[in-house]
Amino acid sequence: MNKFLAIAKWEFMEKIKSKAMIISFFLTPLIILGFSILPSVFVEKDDASTQAIGIIDNTQKYFPSLTEKLSEFKLEDKQPRYVIINLFKQNEQADSLKAEANRNVVKKKIEGYIFLSENGKKEIVFEYRSLSLGNFNDYRRFEDCFNKIRRVQEFKKANIDTALVAHLLNNVEMNTVKIDEKGKESSADFKSQYFSSFIFIMVLFMVIMISGGMLVRSLVEEKSNRLIEIIVSSCRPDDILKGKILGLSGLTLSQIVVWALIGTAFAGQGIVMFASFQNLFLLFVYFILGFVLYTAIFVGVGSIVTTEQEAQQITGYLSMITISPIVIMIPAMQNPDSLLIRVFSYIPLTTPGVMILRLNSAPISTIEILATLLELILSIYLVIKVSSKIFRIGILSYGKMPNLKELFAWLREKE
Amino acid sequence: MLTVKNLRKEYTNTVAIDNISFSLQPGKIFGLIGPNGAGKTTTIRVILNIIKPTSGEVLFDGKLMDRSIQNVTGYLPEERGLYKKSSVLDVIVYLASLKNVSSHNATQLAIEWLKKLDILDSKNKKIEELSKGNQQKIQFITSVIHDPKILILDEPFTGFDPINQQLIKETILSLANAGKIIVLSTHQMDFAEKLCNDIFLINKGKEVCSGNLSEIKRRYGTQSIKIEYQGDATFLNQNKDIAHLDMYQNYAEVQLHDSINPSLFLRSIVDKIEIKHFSIIEPTLNKIFIDAIKN
Repeated sequence: MNKFLAIAKWEFMEKIKSKAMIISFFLTPLIILGFSILPSVFVEKDDASTQAIGIIDNTQKYFPSLTEKLSEFKLEDKQPRYVIINLFKQNEQADSLKAEANRNVVKKKIEGYIFLSENGKKEIVFEYRSLSLGNFNDYRRFEDCFNKIRRVQEFKKANIDTALVAHLLNNVEMNTVKIDEKGKESSADFKSQYFSSFIFIMVLFMVIMISGGMLVRSLVEEKSNRLIEIIVSSCRPDDILKGKILGLSGLTLSQIVVWALIGTAFAGQGIVMFASFQNLFLLFVYFILGFVLYTAIFVGVGSIVTTEQEAQQITGYLSMITISPIVIMIPAMQNPDSLLIRVFSYIPLTTPGVMILRLNSAPISTIEILATLLELILSIYLVIKVSSKIFRIGILSYGKMPNLKELFAWLREKE
Repeated sequence: MLTVKNLRKEYTNTVAIDNISFSLQPGKIFGLIGPNGAGKTTTIRVILNIIKPTSGEVLFDGKLMDRSIQNVTGYLPEERGLYKKSSVLDVIVYLASLKNVSSHNATQLAIEWLKKLDILDSKNKKIEELSKGNQQKIQFITSVIHDPKILILDEPFTGFDPINQQLIKETILSLANAGKIIVLSTHQMDFAEKLCNDIFLINKGKEVCSGNLSEIKRRYGTQSIKIEYQGDATFLNQNKDIAHLDMYQNYAEVQLHDSINPSLFLRSIVDKIEIKHFSIIEPTLNKIFIDAIKN
């Protein structure tokens, strides 16, 4: 067997048997799903109990309609969502009404109250006051109801047909339909595009973090127990480098396969997202190339560190670069052809991430795809060259990390 | 035959080894001896092709040592360590596969060696579950399993109890008898003295002395004398013939100046004290080592 294959096999088998790997196989997809789906689930989930809401309507125009509208909201068990309490009293000042309402809020007799008044210039004051101002859904409902009622009332005053008004007041939602280069339509909307790209980049980030970390740790281990000397005396440093990269890539691929299986088995939402990818094959190509590029960097950098702490620091910094495309995610989705995004597509470290974003939001010309792929392959070649030079010397130097000057001296050294 | 010719290795600020040459015969154990930081490990790394020398060359049977010879070298580094979480057999088979031994053969050989070193019952254990001594045995096995022609052992005895030291010593001797070229790098002079045919003493990257061990002893030994006596021998302290003196109660070890004939020296002291015993002694390797390094 070729020696680099022996190394690849060892790296693959030993890592896949480790507890950390088994955990990452199953835990990571859960974390990713958690990050991407849970926030929206939580935001949309309302309190499941009826709330007492007070209204102080100083204008005396809106209370009846507002009560009627808000009573229409029901909980899942058909109970009313809101119970409305009129806190307005004829002969009392607004300030003392508010003070009393505040006391009731503090005593938790009511969840909160809506305060309505008009100032001299007919400007409307519309406030919701509560101990906790966290529930976004409540405000939205209050606001929507109030604005609708107000418009209806104003239109009525102007003698406009109320049926027409009601009709006009219903918002028409716009659907987005994406057309690919072959003219096929799909109903991917911005949100699902965003999430699917996001998930892809997150997965890339996770696998680089996990496997890069593993790679550096195994190098540090082999260095500290001098196993590396036995290995270097048995095969060429290039074989070690290739073997490690190959073993880890195999590991990552099988990891992704497991994740995809888990994803399709457990998360219905996940399937929808993956279905919105049109260039699945190309995405994987960028993904794999990106992974190999980063792994090659990790091998070079990992060979110069000597302690676990240094290893962690360096792994952290490198992984940050991987997720950097997330910063330009929104502009890239909105305007995939902008100059900035194009420039980022050609910077090797961000190419995979940015291209994953772009592929998923608009058709890209074949030339550009070929150019970026070529650029990526070329940089992988160069990085492996440089890495293996550093690696050859780095794995045998102990003690303090080399400075830049020393690194350059290593690069100039002949084989 | 392994020949090291005018080897020199420089680092940015230091010369690790400076123009050293020696040659090693099959079937003989070669002691590479020197204090810490003398350049032993660097020499070993150059021989094993782990690092390139700045100048000079290493030849095996007349051919330059290159990657093709990697499969016939075995190496036991001074600082030990194996993959802690992996099983004994897996580790041995993996490291053997890096020497081009098929996993089937490696498994069989591993079992033979584990039997020979009396740790067959650990073959499926994880490395970290073994005692330090047994981990060392595993490491020893990984350096010999592929039947190397050149075997380099850096401090092979540290970490073993006396019984296992004996076992390892016998194993090394049997490997030498089987015609291997063996390099033994050590500080433990007693082992080197018992095992090595030739030695190379290195200090600060330079050769201090080298050659056949008994010849070296003779060379260093002619001027060493052991005297057992009765009487007051303090006058020896002032004796100008003596280069170095170790005096005990009724016993002294004397190193004479090169020009002094031991018989004449005996004649000069025989009237002053009662001599019980007088002999010219071979110095221990330990003494040669200390003297050579000090000078």
